[in-house]
Amino acid sequence: METVSLSIPAGPEHLRLVRLVAAGLASRLQFTIDDIEDLKIGVDELCAYLTGSQGREGTLEIAFGVGDDHLEISGSGRFQPGDKIRTQLTELSRMILDTVADEAVLEQNDGVPRFFLSKRRASEKTIDL
Amino acid sequence: MERATLSKEEVRELFREYRAAEDPEAQAKFRGQLVNQHIGLVEFLARRFRNRGELLEDLIQVGTIGLLKAIERFDLDREVEFSTYATPTIVGELKRHFRDKGWAVRVPRRLQELHLKLTNVVGHLGQELGRSPTIAEIAQATGETEEAVLEGLEIAQAYNFTSIDAPIDGDSGGTTTFADQLGADDEHLENLEYRASLAPEMAKLPERERRILYLRFFKGLTQSEIADKLGISQMHVSRLLNRTLVQLRRALEEE
Repeated sequence: METVSLSIPAGPEHLRLVRLVAAGLASRLQFTIDDIEDLKIGVDELCAYLTGSQGREGTLEIAFGVGDDHLEISGSGRFQPGDKIRTQLTELSRMILDTVADEAVLEQNDGVPRFFLSKRRASEKTIDL
Repeated sequence: MERATLSKEEVRELFREYRAAEDPEAQAKFRGQLVNQHIGLVEFLARRFRNRGELLEDLIQVGTIGLLKAIERFDLDREVEFSTYATPTIVGELKRHFRDKGWAVRVPRRLQELHLKLTNVVGHLGQELGRSPTIAEIAQATGETEEAVLEGLEIAQAYNFTSIDAPIDGDSGGTTTFADQLGADDEHLENLEYRASLAPEMAKLPERERRILYLRFFKGLTQSEIADKLGISQMHVSRLLNRTLVQLRRALEEE
């Protein structure tokens, strides 16, 4: 699997780049615009937990794994020790992620918050249309 | 509401009934009829601003606010016809919109135009293909590169429409009010109200935003399907959805 990596300051204003890269890679996999919009929402939802709405000191490391028909996006936050990050998804977030992604996880290992999201090309919904 | 064209005298009569009406329901009814009667004027005026990088549907909403103001201020004792009186108010509202609330950040004109082009093409292609188009298909149809298309889609989020996307009061919505869009399959909306307990902020959202959220995440409709259902563009759905999610996240964070 090919991987593209991105490292950005942990502010919401930089998430645009994450969305653009995700969309660009999804486009190469022939995702439809509906699926791309979903992917961007999923990425935003997870990244928002890491950056918070105000941003944090530190960086976000994002890796995009490009499969034959799906993308795997993982991210982690490198923050100040002691920075409290909520890694428990709200019920609403869970619902959003279940809708827009095939798999979405947010967790914390050794004090490092991480997420993983995967999305396959062409949701059934789109084909059925 | 039907839109039979009324004569000048009939319009004046409608105004008299509106002014005479005392209970809010009757007022809303007459106001709705007055709006309906002049929505064509709003559309006509809004169209004059359409090549400035904003969607016509949004401009019509802005113009409708101007129309409502004109309806409130119109003085029946004056000899002037209402449409003559309302025109500068509506145009003023549109101009003010561009002055105050245009692009949230300065977006190069080329990108604004691209955004508009994409809005149209995405809609047409979707109809033609019977499914949501890919970026490559959009690029081909617009003659743009895929990179430009992706950038253009992202730019959609640069709009700042907070005020005009907010619902105008009552049933004064003009062409199609949101209530018109309610289908039988949406009767489970109470379900959403119930679920709203998981995010009380959701209950505070304007009706349209809440509905889009509901249709997307509770009913599983795609953005394109929602766009069809509500009679707005997919890009507009995307913008509203993204903005709503940002608001919700912020609200939840502040808890």
